[in-house]
Amino acid sequence: MPTTQQRLLTWLDERLDLSELRHFIAEKGVPVHAHKVWYYLGGITLFLFGLQVGTGILLLLYYRPSAAEAYESVQFIVTQVEFGWLIRNLHAWSANLLIAMAFAHLFSVFLLKAYRKPRELTWLSGVLLLFLMLAFGFSGYLLPWNELSFFATKVGTVIAGSVPLVGTFLLRLLRGGDEVTGATLSRFYGLHVAILPAATTLLITAHLLLVQRQGMSVPPGIERRMRAGGRLRQMPFFPNYLLRDVMLWYVALGILAALAAFSPWELGKKADPFAPVPAGIRPEWYFLAMFQTLKVIPGHVFGMEGEVLGIAGFGLAALWLVLVPFLDRRASRGEPSPAFTAAGILALTYLVAFTVFGYVAALRGQ
Amino acid sequence: MRSHRTIGAWLARGVWAAAVLLALVGGQDAAEAADQTGHVKTQCEICHSGLGRTAAALPALQFRQDVHADKGFTCVDCHGGDPRAADKQQAKGPSTGYRGRPTGAGIVTTCARCHSDAELMRRYAPTQRIDQASEYATSVHARRLAAGDARVATCISCHGAHGIRLVSDAKSPVYPLNVATTCAACHANEAYMKGERLAGGAQLPTNQLHDYQASIHYRALTKGNDLSAPTCNDCHGNHGAAPPGVGAVANVCGTCHAVFAARFEQSTHKQIFDRACVECHGNHAVQPSSDEMLGSGAKAVCVTCHSPGDNGLAAADKMRGGIERLKGDIAHARALVDRVANQGMEVSDQALALGEAGNRLTLARTEIHAANPASLDPIVAEGLAIVAGVDTAGQAALAELRFRRKGLFGSLAAILVVVVALGIKIRELDRARRSP
Repeated sequence: MPTTQQRLLTWLDERLDLSELRHFIAEKGVPVHAHKVWYYLGGITLFLFGLQVGTGILLLLYYRPSAAEAYESVQFIVTQVEFGWLIRNLHAWSANLLIAMAFAHLFSVFLLKAYRKPRELTWLSGVLLLFLMLAFGFSGYLLPWNELSFFATKVGTVIAGSVPLVGTFLLRLLRGGDEVTGATLSRFYGLHVAILPAATTLLITAHLLLVQRQGMSVPPGIERRMRAGGRLRQMPFFPNYLLRDVMLWYVALGILAALAAFSPWELGKKADPFAPVPAGIRPEWYFLAMFQTLKVIPGHVFGMEGEVLGIAGFGLAALWLVLVPFLDRRASRGEPSPAFTAAGILALTYLVAFTVFGYVAALRGQ
Repeated sequence: MRSHRTIGAWLARGVWAAAVLLALVGGQDAAEAADQTGHVKTQCEICHSGLGRTAAALPALQFRQDVHADKGFTCVDCHGGDPRAADKQQAKGPSTGYRGRPTGAGIVTTCARCHSDAELMRRYAPTQRIDQASEYATSVHARRLAAGDARVATCISCHGAHGIRLVSDAKSPVYPLNVATTCAACHANEAYMKGERLAGGAQLPTNQLHDYQASIHYRALTKGNDLSAPTCNDCHGNHGAAPPGVGAVANVCGTCHAVFAARFEQSTHKQIFDRACVECHGNHAVQPSSDEMLGSGAKAVCVTCHSPGDNGLAAADKMRGGIERLKGDIAHARALVDRVANQGMEVSDQALALGEAGNRLTLARTEIHAANPASLDPIVAEGLAIVAGVDTAGQAALAELRFRRKGLFGSLAAILVVVVALGIKIRELDRARRSP
C-alpha cells in the first residue's frame, strides 16, 4: 500500500519526469576531509538570507516608509503588533549574523583557494552577493529613521560623495537631493525591498546553480594528494549533509531567539534633522574598519585629499577581490600560492584590528 | 603754601609746553594725526596724551577705546574748546566755548544733550532709548543730587567717563556680569555709605554684594552663563535706580516669575505679607527653592508665622503631602521605566508621559503660592493619574518580558529536541552508510 508521499511523487513523476532530479540527488556528494567544516558557511548564509526575506515581508505589512511615519511604525511594530518585537529583532539580528557569515564564507573560500579554475564565476557571484549584503545593511539601517541611523547615513553618504569623479553625483543619487531627508528614506526603502532583493535573487540562483554544476571545491593540497593516487571520501548530500546543515540552522535560530529575548535591538530616538549630531556616531560594525581607516588617514597625502585616497584604496581593494581568480595564476594551475594566502590573512587581520580599534575609539569618545 | 602752588603751576606749564613742542617738532598736524587704529586725534589728545603718566593724560589715552570716539565724537563735544589750537590758552579761551570738566548734575546735562536728543540718536544709535536722563531724574541718586549730595552716582559713575563701552561689551562696567561689582564700588564701601539711611531711618546696609554672590541668581548668571539672570538693575532699575517699594516686590519678582506672582496675587498671603516674596525667599541672598520650605518640617518657612494646630499649617502640611506623593510616585514609575528600558523594552511613550507628570509637579509647585489646597488637589490628581498609567504600562512591559523569556526557554527546549533528534538520525545514517 503506497503512502501519500509516494502517491504524490508518482503523480508528479508521471507529469514532470523527476528521474533526472532523483538521479542528481542520489549522486550528489560532499567531499569529506579536514576542512569540510567550512562548507557549512554557505548553507547558513543562505538560511539567514531566507530568514531575512521572511521576516522582512512580515515587517512590510506594518512599516510605513516616510520621514513622518517610519519611526512610529517601527515603534508600533515592536510595542503593539503581536510578536512584532520578535520579527523585528530576528530581522535585525539575523541581518548582522548574515553579514558575519558571508564574510566568514568569503574568507574561508579565499584561504582554501576555492576560487581557482573552474570556479571563477562562482567566486565572482559570491563577492557581488557580499557587496549586495553590505548594501542591504546600509539601506536597512536608515529605515527605522532614528537619530543614530539618520546621522550615520549622513556620514556614510558624505563618504560616498568623496568618490573621485562621480562623488557628487553618487551623493545626490543616494540622498535624493543635497541632504538626508524623507526622499533619502524613500530611496533606501525602494533599494532595500525591491532592487536589492531582485538582484540578490538572480545572483543567488546563479551562485547555487554554479555550485551544483561544479560540485564542492576541494582544497589544493588535498587535490594534489588525490592526483598522486590518494582517495577522497564522499558523503551523500541528501540526507546526510543536508540534515547536518538543518541542525546548524536550528542552532542559529536558537541563538537568534535568545538575542531577541535578552538583547532586543534598540529603537532609539526619532531622527531630528535639526538636532546637533549626537556623540558616538559610527556606522554598523561591518563598515567600522573602513570608517576608522578614513579617520586615521591624514587630511592630505601626497597632495591628494586623504579621504579621496582612502576611498580610492577601498575601490581598488574591492576590484582586486573581484579579480582574484584571474590574478592568482598559481592557484589556477593547482600550485600553492603563498602570496595570496598572506594577502588574505593580512586583510582579515586588518579588518578585525580596525573594527576593534573603531569600537575602542568610539568608547573613548574620539 | 603759595610757593608750592607756584612751583606746581610752573611744572605743569613746563610739561604742557614740552608736549606742545614735541608735537610740533614731530611735525604732526592736529587734523591729520591718526593712530594705528585710524582714529584721528585732536590737538587736545595730542597734548594730553603727551603728559606721561599724569591724571591729565589718562582721559586722552582712554578715549581711544571709547565708543564715542568710534562714532567720530571728540573731546570738544563734551568739554568745548578749540580742538586745533596747539596753545593751551587759545584752546581753552573764552571764545571757544570751553566748558571744562562737568561735575554733578552737569554730567547728566552733558550726556543728555545727545542721549535725550531723538534726532541725533537716530543718526548714531537708532535702537537706543532716549529717556535715560528723565528716568534718572526719578531715581534716589538724582533726588539726592538735587538735594546737594555730590557723592551719589551719575552717568559716569557706572559707565565711565572716557573709556565708555557699549553695554553689550563684556568689558563694560554695566555688562550684566559686571553690574554687581559696579554698584558695589559704592554700595559695599562701608566708609562711603556711612550715614546713608533707609527710608525707615536705619543705616543702609553694605552687604548686598556679599549676599547676592551667595544667591541662585548670581550662580545662574556667572556659573550658568545665563545673562538673563537678574543682577542689581533687574530688580532696582538702572537709570531710575530705587529700591522697590514694599507693595511692588511681587511685581519685581513677577517680571520673571510671572506665574508664581499671579498665584501669590490670589493668595491670602498677599494681604498679610509686608515684603511679599521676600518673606519666604529672602532678597539679595535668594536661594533655590525646595519642597522642604513648605509644611511644618525643620526647614519649613511656614512655621515662621504659623503655629502647630492652626489652619494655615494644616493646609501647608496637606499641600506638602500632595507634592511628596506625586514626587514619590514619579520617582517609583521612573525607576520602573528605566528598569524595563534597560532590558530592551520600548517604553518611549511612558518616558514621555513621565515628562508630562513632571510638568504637573512643576505646576503643583507653582500652585502652592496660592496657599490654597483646593486649587492644588486637581493638579496633583492629574499628575497621579498620569503616573498610574505609566506604572500600569511598566508592569505590563515587565510581564511581557517574563513571557518572552519563558517563551524563549520553551523554544530553546523545542530546538534542542530537534537538534538532538537530527544528531541521532545523522549518526544512524552514517552508521548505515559505513556498514557494507
